[in-house]
Amino acid sequence: MSYLELSGLQKRYRDSVAVDDVSLSVEKGEAVALLGPSGCGKTTTLRMLAGLVDPDRGAIRLDGAEVTKLPAHKRNMGYVFQSYALFPHLSVARNVGFGLEERGVAKAEIARRVAEALAMVRLSGLDRRRPRELSGGQQQRVALARSLVIRPSVLLLDESLSNLDAKLRDTMRHEIRSIQRSLGITTLFVTHDQVEALTMCDRIAVMHRGGIAQIGSPEDIYERPATRFVAEFVGRANALPATHDAEGRVVLWGERLPVAAPASGEFDLFVRPQRIRILPISEAVAEGMVRVTGKVLRSVFVGDHVEVLVEGAAGQIQVELQSGTALPQEGAEVALVWQARDTLPFPRETA
Amino acid sequence: MSDARLKWLLLPAALFVLAIYAWPTLGLFRNAFNETGPTGAMVETWSLKTTAEVLEDNFTFDLTLNSLWLSLSATLLALAMSYPVALFLFRTNSRFRGLLAVVAIMPMLISGVVRVFGWLAILGDRGLVNSLAQSFGLISAPMKLVFNWTGVTIGLAESIMPYMILALLAGFGQLDRTLEEASRSLGATPMRTFLRVTLPLSLPALALAAGLGFVLSMSAYITPKLLGGGRVFVLATEIFEQATTNTNWPMASVLAIYTLVLLLLLLVTSNLAARGLKR
Repeated sequence: MSYLELSGLQKRYRDSVAVDDVSLSVEKGEAVALLGPSGCGKTTTLRMLAGLVDPDRGAIRLDGAEVTKLPAHKRNMGYVFQSYALFPHLSVARNVGFGLEERGVAKAEIARRVAEALAMVRLSGLDRRRPRELSGGQQQRVALARSLVIRPSVLLLDESLSNLDAKLRDTMRHEIRSIQRSLGITTLFVTHDQVEALTMCDRIAVMHRGGIAQIGSPEDIYERPATRFVAEFVGRANALPATHDAEGRVVLWGERLPVAAPASGEFDLFVRPQRIRILPISEAVAEGMVRVTGKVLRSVFVGDHVEVLVEGAAGQIQVELQSGTALPQEGAEVALVWQARDTLPFPRETA
Repeated sequence: MSDARLKWLLLPAALFVLAIYAWPTLGLFRNAFNETGPTGAMVETWSLKTTAEVLEDNFTFDLTLNSLWLSLSATLLALAMSYPVALFLFRTNSRFRGLLAVVAIMPMLISGVVRVFGWLAILGDRGLVNSLAQSFGLISAPMKLVFNWTGVTIGLAESIMPYMILALLAGFGQLDRTLEEASRSLGATPMRTFLRVTLPLSLPALALAAGLGFVLSMSAYITPKLLGGGRVFVLATEIFEQATTNTNWPMASVLAIYTLVLLLLLLVTSNLAARGLKR
């Protein structure tokens, strides 16, 4: 049995189901992201874990013991809130020491552990400040230290980086990940940001409409999305309407593709923009490659990459090239080439 | 509209206040310097004789203590009841929240006199409380709940509660539910969370409500007069006595100004104290 087990969790609100039959096993020391758009039930799931929301159905087991009905203050879970939720009337040191004081830890021990925790998040020397005197990034670190200092069974992070600016978010991402690894602390991370999920976690659970759409390693999720939703939500992808010819082979923009696809029904081919190469129309391609032709509609330089939009017989394809490569001329006829295995067919969504 | 023209919007209210408040207040100050002759008629003069009379009278001192004590106890009693109600209204997700808020401030919609008679029916010798207590055999003779300080304190507390609830709700701004959740996730029981997070963060709201309740209690007249049954003497009742029964306008004016100064002093001290607390 895993260290943390959620089984069949369900939560309904007055007129909607927030979380529907969520089951998840997390190993000790593992970092798992709950990734999904807003309203997918990821935060509700996290709050049920912390004991801040009572599930209507299902069970939570921690280290073999059932904690489903245990009140929040007895769960020993470190929760880092999106808004940080630092106590405005207490100093940084008192904020961090709050959980230890509640546990009746001796004063000297509290001082030692608070100093240690503040050093870990690189905030030594700010212990007498009030939260409002700190920057967003510093508040975030205090919140993290406050949750870690109690040595929680599980660390729960709720969109913890979303209030920071892009650059700081990047730094904090790496910092949190390295702290998490060095402490070996089991972590659940709620986010709508795929980069956060992909870079900070061992496994990702993609959530959609209250349920888990797919669980897997970041690579699994990105390379082998199980559903159309996952393919669309994680990373960018071209969704290309394709058809069958008389022999049942897949046809895109008038070209037969060496791609397996559902035998019947309407479907789209999903291809990541950065998996596509642009070649001169005359160049031959190897067996097992997909090749379609079109006209360059426009190229946009975005700094670290170039976005090229190519129009073909039946629609457009977005291509992402590394910058430094030659910018394709607008209006040029080009061939778009990618590996057959980078093509993922999904049935068309019937709305 | 430009600011210059915008200010004309204030004109009606300004004229009204000038007519019914500023002008009579000036009259009040003028009267305070008059004297009352041996016949009881007012003598127009400029002297401090009436002021001296009021300040040298031990009865003024008693009245002051009575007023302060009554206001303090009514405010504390009302605060103890208003705070949980306000906290509930602030926090509830109930669909009846709006309705409950209206119920909470409903007493404001009823005339003070009517409310006092309501309390007489409840607290009187043969009132609801006494007859219930007696029929359960809890007491043999009726408790004296009205026409004394007890009755006035209860009635006054009830009459200031709606204002205090509104003041508390207005002051709860900083009270973020996430902070309580953070406290609980850190291992604090609901009780400890209340003591360490909720209560400290609602201190500004409590101070605001207490201040308002105190001022309202100090100036309340109907409740001490009617529920006191002529046995409860405070500054407000004495001002009314002097102005109407005794038609001693100079005396009434001096007492009114005395009360005003007292309240201003309290206001300034409490502000200074609050500022000291914040540091």
